[in-house]
Amino acid sequence: MKIGSTTINNCKIGSTQVNEIRIGSTLVWQFSSLDPDAQAFITAAGITNPTQQTAIDTLVLSLKANSLWAKMKAIYPMVGGTATTHKFNLKNPLDTNAAFRLSFVGGWTHSANGALPNGTNAYANSFLVPSAQLSLNSTHISYYSRTTGAVGNCFGAANLGLTNRTLWQFGGATNYISIYTAPANYFLYTGATSLSMLTANRTSSTLMNAWQGNVKKATSTNLSTALTSVALYLGGNNANGTPDTYSNAQCAFASVGDGLTDTDVTNFYTAVQAFQTTLGRQV
Amino acid sequence: MRLDNLTQDQKLTYVGLLTEVQKDELVGQLYTDDSYFNPIQDATDNWIISVEEMEFCTIELFMWVKDLTLIEYTPKVNKL
Repeated sequence: MKIGSTTINNCKIGSTQVNEIRIGSTLVWQFSSLDPDAQAFITAAGITNPTQQTAIDTLVLSLKANSLWAKMKAIYPMVGGTATTHKFNLKNPLDTNAAFRLSFVGGWTHSANGALPNGTNAYANSFLVPSAQLSLNSTHISYYSRTTGAVGNCFGAANLGLTNRTLWQFGGATNYISIYTAPANYFLYTGATSLSMLTANRTSSTLMNAWQGNVKKATSTNLSTALTSVALYLGGNNANGTPDTYSNAQCAFASVGDGLTDTDVTNFYTAVQAFQTTLGRQV
Repeated sequence: MRLDNLTQDQKLTYVGLLTEVQKDELVGQLYTDDSYFNPIQDATDNWIISVEEMEFCTIELFMWVKDLTLIEYTPKVNKL
């Protein structure tokens, strides 16, 4: 509710909390004890389950307490069990491309455990174009995968000829990672699985790292070239406008944002893992 | 092979076969709330959609996808 251009977040008479305001029988404002950003997402996505509401609120508070909230451009909690609830960006829960609301394309199965692409033709367009939103030497992307032995790109985008590529690709016991590199300048680690929160991170022109859970698995000094100028896809790769390399990794959370310090990644994982545990879907 | 006859294991390997005209009808269209069809070509250039798109389709106009002939899926190979 607004009075003029001022948003009313709370209303008390003396020390007494007002719970709702009605004009006649029409409810025009209702008190919420939740964080306003969490409440906005819950309202947009139509999340009515109290456990899910609490999990989202706690996640937002934790991200803010650890100075991570401001570093995020898009956060996809994948809560609520349908495409309609999974599509919303926690940072800006508007149903528009400009708010980086996901558009699910191809064969997805949505459930309380997240969004499962089929590995055949499924991807989600984030509409988030790195060259318009992110910095060349400060970017992270995370994907909470609940699938062991997955294939394909859990996220990816590249320009013509696979230049300026951004990816996390599963290849058997090897994971391939890149943020804004030349075509062959991805890096990898072996002995890998596709299970856990996977975070690819660039913090300078000559430093990238890859995290599985809260363990740093690999680093690379491969140079950044230029920001990818097509939108990032989840569950597949955006090959300069054409989707390919589809994945079958179930997504229970994803994010895109600025580069993260090692401490940030650890705090981020702790917050997301607590979120998943509250929802009973942690891996 | 029809959708109703598929086992869970077969759902992982089978896809619905489209004609070129059917493909054109589905491109850019919703098959259920907030989910769009994505016809693609297999290794021999057949146009196909996934079993999920067939199974979860709730749009009256496209209910015919549930009756598509099913074929085993062979993907095109993408390089890293």
